[in-house]
Amino acid sequence: MGYVAVTAGEELVERAEQLFESQRVGDTEDVSVDQIDEQLSRLTARAMGEGGLYAPRLAALAVKQAQGDTVEAAFLLRAYRSTLERFDESVTVDPSAMIASRRVSPAFKDVPGGQILGATRDYTQRLLDFDLVGGSPEDPTAEWDLTDEGDPDRLTNVTELLREEGLLHDPDEPDVDDPADTTRESVTHPAERDEVLQELARGETGAVTALGYSTLRGYGRVHPTLAEVRVGELPVRVEHPYTGDDVTVTHTNVTESEAVVPVYEKRDDPQFAFGYGLTFGRNERKAIGMTVLDASIQLESEEAPAENAEFVLDTIDGMDSFGFIEHLKLPHYVTFQSILDRIRAIRERRGLSEDRRVGPDDQSAETPVSGTSDDD
Amino acid sequence: MTDHATPPDGETPDDEPPDGGAPVPTDSVDAALASLDSDGVAGYNYAYLDEHTKRELRRSMLKAVAIPGHQVPYASRPMPLARGWGTGGIQASLSILGPDDIFKVIDQGADESVNAANIRRLAENTADVSTTTDTTEADLIQSRHRIPEEVLTDEQRLVLQVPITDALRMVDSSDAANRRRHAHKNYGKMWVHLYENVVEYGEIQIASRYPTMVADRYLMDPSPIPRWDVPKLDDADHLTVLAAGREARIYAVPPHTEVEPLAFEDRSFTVERFPGRACHACESTDTYLVEVSEGATESETDTFETRYTCNDSSFCEKRRTNPGIPKDHHLDREGVDWGPELSDVATDDAENATERGGNDE
Repeated sequence: MGYVAVTAGEELVERAEQLFESQRVGDTEDVSVDQIDEQLSRLTARAMGEGGLYAPRLAALAVKQAQGDTVEAAFLLRAYRSTLERFDESVTVDPSAMIASRRVSPAFKDVPGGQILGATRDYTQRLLDFDLVGGSPEDPTAEWDLTDEGDPDRLTNVTELLREEGLLHDPDEPDVDDPADTTRESVTHPAERDEVLQELARGETGAVTALGYSTLRGYGRVHPTLAEVRVGELPVRVEHPYTGDDVTVTHTNVTESEAVVPVYEKRDDPQFAFGYGLTFGRNERKAIGMTVLDASIQLESEEAPAENAEFVLDTIDGMDSFGFIEHLKLPHYVTFQSILDRIRAIRERRGLSEDRRVGPDDQSAETPVSGTSDDD
Repeated sequence: MTDHATPPDGETPDDEPPDGGAPVPTDSVDAALASLDSDGVAGYNYAYLDEHTKRELRRSMLKAVAIPGHQVPYASRPMPLARGWGTGGIQASLSILGPDDIFKVIDQGADESVNAANIRRLAENTADVSTTTDTTEADLIQSRHRIPEEVLTDEQRLVLQVPITDALRMVDSSDAANRRRHAHKNYGKMWVHLYENVVEYGEIQIASRYPTMVADRYLMDPSPIPRWDVPKLDDADHLTVLAAGREARIYAVPPHTEVEPLAFEDRSFTVERFPGRACHACESTDTYLVEVSEGATESETDTFETRYTCNDSSFCEKRRTNPGIPKDHHLDREGVDWGPELSDVATDDAENATERGGNDE
């Protein structure tokens, strides 16, 4: 007790941490941060997207430290991010400035700029490749005959075509000059669309996918047609402190998705509704899930879970849900004692005997509820 | 990021920060990493949070004090602790702790809980405070789900960790709707819930998180303290700050504020009963007890023995060396003015309790 026990508590914490760390170390060769960055980029993409910090190397470190738990890794990134100084805000970038390495537009067979299949496993057979057990470091594209065709064309956004024809409802224009920052200002409902998009962009991949799926499954009205799914590099531009010109300082790898939804916005001028998704790294299912949720939330209904902004935003964040689900492991004996008191009081009131503990003899002592209740 | 034509040096085109100091070297990620691997908390601001954040929290607290029981939104920062594990409490604590303060952290009544130890370690490492387990010595007490047994004074502050900020959440999951109810002081739905409780169970079956009116204006979730602790908030000498990290709300019960748990005239508010029980270690009968089932596994049968023990482990320790000291032993006045009435609890046996239940009808 007292100081001794407190010290013991802290020692326990340290020991548990050491045991956890020893599970990572193991008997095999240490996985390097570079290897995770290069070979497990789907993990780092999830960590960066959910952490709201684009930093592939730090994400790789976080994934390594979290032993592959992406939500934990995202959490490490967020905790680190919150201590960093903010030097500047970047200039709002037009997504069509993306240098796409993959671009799919299911809405039309042919689109301006063409479909770019890019790197994907979408159409391969999901068979375990046992050759990888021994490692296969050879790059299958090494023999490709490539020619440099210069800078890629800027891709015309498919939704632009629909907008020109007036077929697409424009959502409320978010305030791009002074957007809300939900990491610095807590969300209250009803939330603005810029807040919704931020929260969705940082949402947990599984939660975004599941809630997005819920509406396709019938719990909601949105079944979108995707106009764009793109993966590529978006420039990060800042205003030069001396010249005042916009300069590109780096690129971020992002996945973007846009959808049209045949929910006709206005009866007198029927238009498609619109959904948007964007996430750091390569994470197509999250970007599409986000698109579905953005479109659903704009319906402002409480009929389906995915259409209720409050429900979606309250449950979508991995840090929140993971923390609170896992907090159930903390001791709860104070509250449980209080709950025991209530159920015993209620049983007493109904005339059920108080002192029944689990044991073979106790079955006979059970009092039938019906005969003894003094319920009013 | 191997899929695409990322510049080979990854995210390196790190711009030099403009003047104003650079907390972390930014010429390369490796340098940033190298600067951090020495000591876990080196390079962080005093009390972990930056001064701007701490000021924001203090302002939220001031607003909360000015409007007792009203939930004030604040920008809860991601902390190096999991959300739901005391991140609101630690943000509140770190924003008001100073180097001269003595800090006590308890989790479910115990200083030695590993989560309390973890929170205490963060404050020790970053805020340079000294810590104690003695309630009477502490300037600031952060607690999860308990108010200490020893009476707190007007020089002490209590920070309660809050998982769910709104008592109305029991009857409506929508915060937007509940904020409207608070604005209109419209607590009809909660009253109906309590009434239905009585109809269905004969009494109110809310165990902890008992809905409580503050200053006759706002309905408050007092955090999952047991009902036992709720009366301690009424007209207390100390300031109580309730802080939720995950839900990003702060609210407060200032000193000498009226705090009244909701109840009916014919179904009064009752605290947990421990009829005929006493702490097996210090023999207290006027403290919140928890039962511990201890297996007598060394013998051949699988029997269990249930023992009751004080939940406030620090006060129990004191009473063991100094039996029967009152809860206000450290104050210049007499008479325990803290917590439930003694007579209600200590002398009841099981029969009396049943009878009392019956009398309520």
